[in-house]
Amino acid sequence: MLTAGLLEGKSAVRQAADHCRPAYGRVSLQHVGDSDSLLAARLGAGDDRALAEAFDRLGPAVYAGAYRVLGDAAAAQDVVQDVFVELWSNPGRYNPAAGPLRAYLVLLGRHRAVDIVRSELRRVARQEHSYRLVPLQPDPTPLDEAVVSEAAAAVRAAVQRLPDSQRRIVELAYFGGLTCREAAKAAGIPEGTAKSRLRLALAKLESMLDREFLESS
Amino acid sequence: MTGEERSSALPTSPVLPAGLRMRVVAAALRARAAGRPHPAPEQIAPDEAYRRAADAFHGLLRELPDADWARPALRDLDVQGLVGHLTGVEEDVQRSLAGDPAVAAADHVASTQAAAVRQAGRRPAQTRAEWRLAADRTIELARAGDLGAEVAVHGLRIPVSLLLIVRAFELWVHDNDIRQAAGLPPSVPDPATLSLMTEVAARLLPVAAARTGMDAPMSLHLVLTGPGGGTWDVPIGTGGTGGTGGASRVEPVDVVVVSDAVDFCRLVANRATPAGLDLHITGDAELAAAVLAAAPVLALD
Repeated sequence: MLTAGLLEGKSAVRQAADHCRPAYGRVSLQHVGDSDSLLAARLGAGDDRALAEAFDRLGPAVYAGAYRVLGDAAAAQDVVQDVFVELWSNPGRYNPAAGPLRAYLVLLGRHRAVDIVRSELRRVARQEHSYRLVPLQPDPTPLDEAVVSEAAAAVRAAVQRLPDSQRRIVELAYFGGLTCREAAKAAGIPEGTAKSRLRLALAKLESMLDREFLESS
Repeated sequence: MTGEERSSALPTSPVLPAGLRMRVVAAALRARAAGRPHPAPEQIAPDEAYRRAADAFHGLLRELPDADWARPALRDLDVQGLVGHLTGVEEDVQRSLAGDPAVAAADHVASTQAAAVRQAGRRPAQTRAEWRLAADRTIELARAGDLGAEVAVHGLRIPVSLLLIVRAFELWVHDNDIRQAAGLPPSVPDPATLSLMTEVAARLLPVAAARTGMDAPMSLHLVLTGPGGGTWDVPIGTGGTGGTGGASRVEPVDVVVVSDAVDFCRLVANRATPAGLDLHITGDAELAAAVLAAAPVLALD
């Protein structure tokens, strides 16, 4: 039985309860263990130190993966935040038996990043305005150029695999900066046909990009 | 690739922006506060925890073959005597609920020994039925009164609600004493009950440490994993003598202990030693050893 020290008159339990509080957020940490399963168990227990340790260990990889897809620092940071909030909010979704935490988080980040690309594609299609699939920085650094060109290469390679009629309308609308109406005119086809080809092309691009990013994860 | 080529190659990974770590941790803690386990256990009242523990214990007794009741279980008690001891505890608890001062300072073992001894020669079913009636009576009396009121029994003066959690803890411990005697696999409390038990175990650590003379301030980060677990920052050496108040924190943390929640309860109940558990410890090794040695100090048989 657990009780012996709670001496009469001192109400020691209440004193102890007043002085001992659930942990709350801090970021000055020690490293307790390397094992992913231990880290996952600690996250499940609400150990904020485990969260910060996971970020220190794996945050750079998640950020790099998201940045390579998006080519945009702010968007990649948002992805990193989403990924670690998800890990903290639902630690049980990571199964250590299924693979390393690093792979799980990087893949989660890539999926989020691809979702953002998809969302951008849809937004452009809705607005029928020109949009750069690879947003350029005003003064890109060599690093920016490297990661942006990687993402851009993936998109351009996917576009090259489209049927000619669809590729042509995508090139005019996105890389050429034309509206859908202008692209239709330039291609010598009705606007409705251009829209139809654009929709088909976007669906194929999404599928190809999904495969591309999943395979590289 | 030559050294010159390497030096001119573009970096492949961007640098993590400064401040992102703090932003991410803050966002995560807004989604779920630190210390709270996930999934969150069902919230139950202490009397419900005790009822569940009593039901689980009764289930074990009903399944136990008569021959196993004669097996040595604890101290000089066989299984039947141990169940009798628990009946004696229920009787003393009921007297405390009625305000009887005679049980306030009574010894936990000596005061219940008569109830243990009187089981000799009885049929197991009779012993089981007597205990079940006593446990049900305890629940009935507790629910009829004020769960926040303090009672005094076996050297304790604590609220009824806390006493019921302590009693649930005791039933689980003796459940496993009997299982061990009978060669049965150990049991684990349901997460809701275990959550109340770990909360009590963590919060009593400063009291236990004070009992062993740990009076120098130190900070323990205690992580109990698995269902019913949680995380606590436990200041040691600051609370037992009315020190610096409830808002005090000792930084930085001196010791981090990570343990399975059930294992830690076994340690606190003096049914396991630190060396026998899969503990993950960082920080001051001597302080960690002292805290873990203090953990079972509050245990009674």
